[in-house]
Amino acid sequence: MSPERDPLTLFAQLAADLGPALIPVGHRELLHNITETARRLFTARACSLALLTESEDELEFIMASGEGADAVRELRIPASQGIAGWVVMSGQAIAVDDVGADPRFAASVAETTGYVPRSILAMPLQTDRRVLGVIEVLDRSERSPAGLGDMELLALFAGQAALVIEGSTMFGELGRVLVESLALAATDADVVMQLQRLSASAPQPRKDLGEIAALFQELGRVGPRERRLAVRVLRDVLDYARDREPE
Amino acid sequence: MSQPAWSEQFDTDRLPRVASSLPGVISREWAFDGATGAGIRVAVVDSGIDASHPAVGHIEGAVMLEYDPDAPSGVRVTDGSHDDAYGHGTACAAIIRANAPDCDLFSVRVLGSRLTGKGPVFAAGIRWAVTHGMHVVNMSLSTGKQDYFGLFHEMADMAYFRNVMLVCAVNNVPGPTYPSQYAAVFSVAAHRGKDPLHFEYNPNPPVEFGAPGIAIEVPWLNQGTITASGNSFAAPHIAGVVARILSKHPGLTAFEMKTVLAALADNRSAASS
Repeated sequence: MSPERDPLTLFAQLAADLGPALIPVGHRELLHNITETARRLFTARACSLALLTESEDELEFIMASGEGADAVRELRIPASQGIAGWVVMSGQAIAVDDVGADPRFAASVAETTGYVPRSILAMPLQTDRRVLGVIEVLDRSERSPAGLGDMELLALFAGQAALVIEGSTMFGELGRVLVESLALAATDADVVMQLQRLSASAPQPRKDLGEIAALFQELGRVGPRERRLAVRVLRDVLDYARDREPE
Repeated sequence: MSQPAWSEQFDTDRLPRVASSLPGVISREWAFDGATGAGIRVAVVDSGIDASHPAVGHIEGAVMLEYDPDAPSGVRVTDGSHDDAYGHGTACAAIIRANAPDCDLFSVRVLGSRLTGKGPVFAAGIRWAVTHGMHVVNMSLSTGKQDYFGLFHEMADMAYFRNVMLVCAVNNVPGPTYPSQYAAVFSVAAHRGKDPLHFEYNPNPPVEFGAPGIAIEVPWLNQGTITASGNSFAAPHIAGVVARILSKHPGLTAFEMKTVLAALADNRSAASS
């Protein structure tokens, strides 16, 4: 049996492709609400969320509110330096009230924020399975005293954000998760081995398909006329694509 | 008559005589006076130490541990000097130095360029410290990953049985984190005090000790300082105190040291100063 026809591989690929399409609507909005609410609660100039990349050597900002937010989103920084890097590596929260006179430190922070903050409160985003990234609150109001009270408060936001992100990630990794579950349930040693091998090389979800599925979800929220228009446009695109298909 | 395993050591001809280590009244004079931490080896398991920082002065040794799937047990060990990736290890070293000026500091760098393999690397750092003659190990790090519960428990027990004192910062995140969760370690959180020798005892574990760690000025990269808060700055205060007491009373065990700290804590009404 060729690998292409292996039903388990097909199943895993299907689950991987389907995963992103099933991510509940509103996850991004929820993450935005978390950073915006944290920013307002701390009367801070900015709040951002950064996640570890798959290679676990960089942090990618996925959400930001407040000053420099546009500049920060999708920006990647090495996890091997800076306050955010230490937090994600050590698993410990830290608040820096005054970044001091260290020019290299200030420059590296400015690079990630678009401006030089005086203070940073940073906390790991983690579940009991793994560390996902970091949440940072920049330049809290002077009225808000630095201390562990702030950390306990931010921990609540970090917990919320971690749950949302973990949920999204699980859908993205649906293929792998399903195959792992099957391997756990299987009793036949050969099947278990095959499933474990498959899980280790689980197919990545095709991002473009996920994006199309997400667009469909959005279409579900607009009016019937818009949906009919979308169907017409999509049919035209398909007709055009079929004509272009090589022999 | 047969006796249960492990009981041979209590046979009268084999049982060692143990000198009483603790006085009737434990005072700060008895514990601290004249003590500088001299002769006590303290490992800082962190991001490295910048030994050229004036607040650190010098260190006695350094080792770097990194994830390497090709190395035995997945961890590569490199002896020799290294820099501080983040500044945090330098801050911890300086805090320990302030409380135990003459102790021998060792940098055990476990935080590097990526998170992959962190658990085993971190555990290998503790193992290195325990098997290389360290008396005190400061760890301002933790993991909440359930998978590592057993691994770190083993390390904490190994340290305890060899009388190596593990001082761990508690995480601010809800839920248990390791190794600060284990009874064998000295688990530390920050209090609002500023005096580096001001520490408190909490009779409701898992957090047993409190030390300065809120809005304190600490050394950082490039010979500079920052003002920072976190439990990770509280732990090295206690590590320094432990090193200082050990240098004057080298025979103390980990459980005796906890008794001494509890007796000397600032929140103890009977504490003498």
